[in-house]
Amino acid sequence: MEKQKGSASISTLSIVQMNDVSASYDSKDYVLKNIRLSIPRGANYAIVGQSGSGKSTLLKLINGMMHPSNGKVLVDYKVPNTSDRKFKPFMHKIGYIPQNLGLIKNSTVLENILIGALPRVNGFNSFFKNFPDSEIKNAKKILKQVGLQGKAERKVYMLSGGEKRRVAIARALVQKPEIILADEIVSELDHMTAREIMDVLAEAQSTMNLTAIMVHHDLQLALEYADRVAVIKEGEKILEIGVEADRIVDFQTGNYTQKEILEMFNTESKE
Amino acid sequence: MSANVDADPRDFVEGLPNIGIMLQDITEVDSSLFVTAFWSMLETIEMAFIGTVVGVAIALPLSLLAARNLNHKFVYVPVRALLAAIRTFPSILWAILFVIIVGLGPFAGVLAITMYTVGFIAKLQYEAIEAIDADPMDAVGAIGVSKLQLIRFVVLPESASHLLSQILYIFDYNIRQTSILGLVGAGGIGFYIINYIKFFEYGKAAVFMLVVLVTVLIIDWVSVRIRDKYIIKSQRGMQVKS
Ligand SMILES: Nc1ncnc2c1ncn2[C@@H]1O[C@H](COP(=O)(O)OP(=O)(O)OP(=O)(O)O)[C@@H](O)[C@H]1O
Ligand SMILES: [Mg+2]
Repeated sequence: MEKQKGSASISTLSIVQMNDVSASYDSKDYVLKNIRLSIPRGANYAIVGQSGSGKSTLLKLINGMMHPSNGKVLVDYKVPNTSDRKFKPFMHKIGYIPQNLGLIKNSTVLENILIGALPRVNGFNSFFKNFPDSEIKNAKKILKQVGLQGKAERKVYMLSGGEKRRVAIARALVQKPEIILADEIVSELDHMTAREIMDVLAEAQSTMNLTAIMVHHDLQLALEYADRVAVIKEGEKILEIGVEADRIVDFQTGNYTQKEILEMFNTESKE
Repeated sequence: MSANVDADPRDFVEGLPNIGIMLQDITEVDSSLFVTAFWSMLETIEMAFIGTVVGVAIALPLSLLAARNLNHKFVYVPVRALLAAIRTFPSILWAILFVIIVGLGPFAGVLAITMYTVGFIAKLQYEAIEAIDADPMDAVGAIGVSKLQLIRFVVLPESASHLLSQILYIFDYNIRQTSILGLVGAGGIGFYIINYIKFFEYGKAAVFMLVVLVTVLIIDWVSVRIRDKYIIKSQRGMQVKS
């Protein structure tokens, strides 16, 4: 069974690793406390929690916009830090979609999407918005992939909420990323549109072979799409669950029952 | 206080009829004077235009260097100090300075307008850049693009409509300013006005002032049109939340 993942193999192949990470904005209160995470390469990982529980902060720790007060974060065996030159090549490989999307509202859809290709275009050409044909072709292909065909020249401020989310996804995909970080990308959408957009992401995740780490506030939706769901409450990871063989399993280190782990290992070795 | 500055409302009231005399004088001046006034107004507009264009061209890179969200303290602090120093002079003082340096004539006026525009536009623009939504800056910055790419793809588009609005405003304002620079010999229509006044030819001075008035009204009207057409529309777009 392809869905079965032994927890032993996860840490060795993990693309994101957090060891007892705590983080704070004002060095007084920790907004994240002793987080331990190990996200396998190629996983579809979800983070769920109430408003203010620290989900967005967790994503910013992964892309290097924030740094832990304690503990260590490793992304592809490197310490993420957006102001570190050595991390820059890997920044190109992280498609980060912030909670408010961060689109350029007065630019067109295509211009927004091509921003994802900027690391591959030299400074002079990009200043004149002079992109290679191959990049434009690729951007248009992705435009179609996310369901925005025919909207390339539309200004972003004219788009609907769902369409804007598609633009943000396309910009991230144009980066040719290894990791996608999406912060509550479907939270404000209706049930149908949310699923359409999640399907686009799931499809991209499997065909482009990337690791998706998505924040949701809806546990139901998270379980529907993710291999694993970390539940955060007031800055602490209280559960790490996944659907395995039609039942919910708790993977949380020290928080699951011994019996359940054994069961997992048993089913794996039997098959 | 009023004693010190010698401001007496009675002077104003008693002097009012002089306007009537001046207006009457207009009807008596030779109509060819209107042609002269028109050409000197055109020169004034040209001076204001060049000063605005050059001033904006210098102000833009300076505003990028003065923005706190784009630069290190060691860069923006000195640039801001320089801009603050430039702004301490009103355009007429710049004009006097440049008349001393480059001599009488429109060139001194253009330089004065340029300096004023640099100080004014750079400040408004770096404030606009600092007010740009942090989300697109963060999102695009997190991709690891270069600073120049960040400026080209986020800062410029996000602040463009603001800049256009400021340019229209300063151009409008610069035409009025340029109209008085002639008072210190820095070219433009003000040169005629001050000379006619010196020789008590109020009717002729009034003709030139009338031309300034009409021109400013026209420019004002045109810039309102441009504003409605290009700026209000995109600002409405900016207000639409993500
Ligand atoms: N820039 C900041 N400065 C100070 N405190 C912050 C900052 N950003 C977030 N916080 C605080 O950190 C805590 C966690 O915030 P975070 O944005 O990570 O929560 P979240 O789980 O993403 O919430 P939501 O679901 O509402 O987006 C909150 O208490 C918040 O007030
Ligand atoms: Mg959040």
